[in-house]
Amino acid sequence: MRTLLLAFAASVTLAAQGAAPQVTPQDLLDGLKDPGKWLTYGGDYSGTRHSPLTQITPENVGQLASQWMFQTGTLGSFQTTPLVVDGIIYATGFNNHAWAIDARTGRPIWRYRRNLPENLHVCCGAVNRGFAALGDRLFMTTIDAHLVSLDMKTGDVLWDVELADFKVGYSATVAPLVVKDKVIVGIAGAEFGIRGFIDAYDAQTGRRAWRFFTVASPDDPIGGRSWPPTSDAWQRGGGSIWVTGTYDPQQNLLFFGTGNPGPDYYSNAREGDNLYTASLVAIDADTGQRRWHYQFTPHDVHDWDSTQVPVLGDLTINGQPRKVVMFANRNGFFYTIDRVTGKVIVARPFVETTWAKEIGPDGRPVLLPGHLPDEEGTKTCPDLGGGTNFMSPSYDPTSHLFFVTARETCATYFAFDQKFKPGEQWESGGTTRPRDQKNFGALRAIDPVTATVKWEFRYPSVSSSGVLTTASGLVFAGDGDGNIMAFDSRTGKNLWHYQLGFAMRATAGTTYMLDGRQYLLVPSGSMLTAFALPSEQRTQR
Amino acid sequence: MARARTAVHLLVFSLSITSAALVAQERPAPPDNPARNNPHLGNKESIRSGLALYRVRCADCHGLDAKGYRGPDLTALLGDMPDEKLFQTLRKGVAGTEMPGSTAPDDELLLVIAYLRNLGAVSAPETAPTGNVENGQRLFAAQCTGCHRIGMRGGRLGPDLSRIGAARSRSALVREIRTPAEWFPPGYETVTLVTKDGQRIRGTRKNEDAFSIQVMDTRERIQGYLKGDLREVIYEKDSLMPAFTAARLNDNDLNDLIGYLTTLRGPDPTVR
Repeated sequence: MRTLLLAFAASVTLAAQGAAPQVTPQDLLDGLKDPGKWLTYGGDYSGTRHSPLTQITPENVGQLASQWMFQTGTLGSFQTTPLVVDGIIYATGFNNHAWAIDARTGRPIWRYRRNLPENLHVCCGAVNRGFAALGDRLFMTTIDAHLVSLDMKTGDVLWDVELADFKVGYSATVAPLVVKDKVIVGIAGAEFGIRGFIDAYDAQTGRRAWRFFTVASPDDPIGGRSWPPTSDAWQRGGGSIWVTGTYDPQQNLLFFGTGNPGPDYYSNAREGDNLYTASLVAIDADTGQRRWHYQFTPHDVHDWDSTQVPVLGDLTINGQPRKVVMFANRNGFFYTIDRVTGKVIVARPFVETTWAKEIGPDGRPVLLPGHLPDEEGTKTCPDLGGGTNFMSPSYDPTSHLFFVTARETCATYFAFDQKFKPGEQWESGGTTRPRDQKNFGALRAIDPVTATVKWEFRYPSVSSSGVLTTASGLVFAGDGDGNIMAFDSRTGKNLWHYQLGFAMRATAGTTYMLDGRQYLLVPSGSMLTAFALPSEQRTQR
Repeated sequence: MARARTAVHLLVFSLSITSAALVAQERPAPPDNPARNNPHLGNKESIRSGLALYRVRCADCHGLDAKGYRGPDLTALLGDMPDEKLFQTLRKGVAGTEMPGSTAPDDELLLVIAYLRNLGAVSAPETAPTGNVENGQRLFAAQCTGCHRIGMRGGRLGPDLSRIGAARSRSALVREIRTPAEWFPPGYETVTLVTKDGQRIRGTRKNEDAFSIQVMDTRERIQGYLKGDLREVIYEKDSLMPAFTAARLNDNDLNDLIGYLTTLRGPDPTVR
C-alpha cells in the first residue's frame, strides 16, 4: 500500500512538473492572438487595448446581457485590468486583495490578503492596477512598496521583495510588465518627496536586475543640468511611475510615462526642466539604460504626471512608414512621436488648453503667460486631473483612430513654499474649481497622423474610464455616471449602454473567448461584471 | 502621483463655522483634541502654510479673505469659539450644510486654525440678527414657503432652509435673494424637458447621465426620463426662484427677511 501511494505521489509530482507553464514569453509576444487570453495590462506589448475578437459586432452589441457579477465584499474600488488565462480571471483590488475567479461563472477560487502596515503614505487611495504573469506565477506591486510573486494555482506567496521604504512615502500601484525573464515595475510617491525609478526584477528569484531613476542625478550628462546645481532638490524630485508602460520587441525598448516633479506646484527650489519627470522615457529592457527621452511638460507646475499609456503603432505619414508612439497627455496635448528617434512628429491639443500656445518645432511647448501658480491663484486649463489621466486609451490599427477619454476642465492653481518633512505630503499648493466652471467629459476619436479630433461623444460629467476597441469596429468606454457603453468606432454612434451602479475608474473593459462565447469583462466599484450575447446572437464573423 | 483628486479632495476639507457649533461647544471637547496644544499658533511660518491650505481648501466657500462668500464670514464667527471646537468642526463638518468633514492630517487642521486665529475676529459677529425678525418671518411665510422648507413645513422645490443661518453669510443671502440665477446649488439647476409630443416639464435637475435625467417638476413630482424619449432638454439660465429685486422686496424688508433667515439654525442632527 505504501509503495502504491509513493508511486501515485511520484506520478502526480511528475505530471505537475511536466505541465506546460501557463504563460510563456512567446505568449506575451503574441499578445491577444490567443482569443482566450488577456495576459498583460494593455492586452499586448503595444498597449493598444485592441482585441481581434469579432463575435460582438455593431449589429448585435445591443443584445449584450450580464452573465454574472463578482462582488469583492471589501471596501475600495477596482482600478485593475484583470488577466485571463485558461478560463480563470486574476484580478487585484483595493488594499492589495487579489482573487482567482472562474471566468465562466464568476465564482472565486482563491483569494490573497496582504497584511498592510497602518502608517501608509498614499496620496490617492490603496489602489492597485493589476497583475502581470509569467509561467505559473503572478506579480503584483503593493501599496507598502513591495513586489510580490504569487502562485497562480493557489495564491500562495512565492517571493516578496521591497522596492523602497514605504515609511518615507514610497508606494506602488502599477501593474507590472513582464519582458523576457524580467518583471518591470515603477514606484510612486511624488507627493511625498520621493525620487522615482523603474526597476526590473528576475521573475524566478525576485532579485533586482537594474534600476532607472526617473529623476536625474547631477552626474547624469543629459538630465543632471536640469536641476539646480547647488541643491539636492533632485533627491526628492518626484517622477512617479504608476501606469504600466509598453514594449517594442524589435528595438528591445521599454516606454514609460513619468510623473510630476516634486513638489507639485511651488517650484522655486527646483529651477530647470527637471528631467526626466513629466516625460516619455525609452529604456533598454535588458539593461535599464536610457535610449532617448522626450519631456512633455518641462518644469511642470500643475501636477501633470505624464503617466499615461504610451501606445505603439505603425503609421504612414507623408507617404513614409513611421514607427510611432501615440500619447494623449494630461497636459492637454496629443502627441505622435517617432519611437526610434524620440522626435515629435505632430502634437495638438485635444481639450481646451490655456497654458501653451502650441508645441514648437523643437518639441518644447510655447508657453502662454500667467499660468505659474502663486498664493493668489491662477486659472489654467486643464485642471490637475488633466485632459486625460491614468485611464487607458485604445488604438484601432485598422481605422487608424486613437480613442481617449477626454476631460474638459479648468482649475485655479495655488502655490506656496512648504517645508519638506520625510513621510509627509509635500505638494506645496493645490487647486480649486473656478466659480461657474462647468466641467464635462467626452470620448474622443483622434487621427494620430494629424492629431485632430474626428468625432466625440459627450458626457455630462467627467469620466476616468479607460477604453477598449475590437476588430469588429466597436469602442467600449465608460462615463463618469456609471454607464459602460459601446460605440461604432468609425462614427461615434452610441450602440449600447448598461448602468453598472458605479463609474469605471482607471479601469477599462477587457474581452476574451471562452466556450465559443465572447465575454466583455468590466471592473467598476468593487464589482466585476461579465457580459455576453444570448446564444442565438452568437455568429462569428 | 496625484490623480484626479480635485473635487473630492477639496470637498473633504472646506471650512464653515456655525452658531450651532457654538451651541455644541457646551459639550466637553474630547480629551485628545489636538487643538488643545496647537504648536502653530503665532508661528509665522505655520500661519503662512495655514493661509495656503485655507486658500486651496476653504476659500471657495468662505472667500479668499475669509470674510465669507457662500459660506459664513469666518472673521466674524470665530471670536467666541474655542480652538478645540473649531478643530472638531473642521474634522466633522457641519450637518445640514454644505460644509463637509475632513480627513486631512491633524497638523493641517492646526495650521488652518493658526491662520484663522491670526486674522483676528471682528467686534460684531454677523450672526447677531438685524432687522425685524418677526416681519421677516411673515415675509418668508408669504413669499418663500411655497418652495422652501423649514423643519417639517414648506415646499421642497427649493433647498431646505432649516439651517440656512448656519450655512450662509449675510452677503451670500442678499446675493441669492436678489439674483438667484447667479449660482445654483447642486441639484437645483433649472431644466425644461420637452417630450416628443410637445409636452413641457419644468423643474430642477437632480441627476443626469448621457442617457437619462432625473428631475423634480414644479408640482414636486420626482421622476426620471430617458433622453431618447425626449425631443429636447433645455438647460435654463434662470432660476425657478424669482429674482427679488428692490422693486419686489425693498431694502428694509430684505433686511428683515435676512434677519429671520439668520436665526434659522435648526436642530443640529449631530446633537443627541
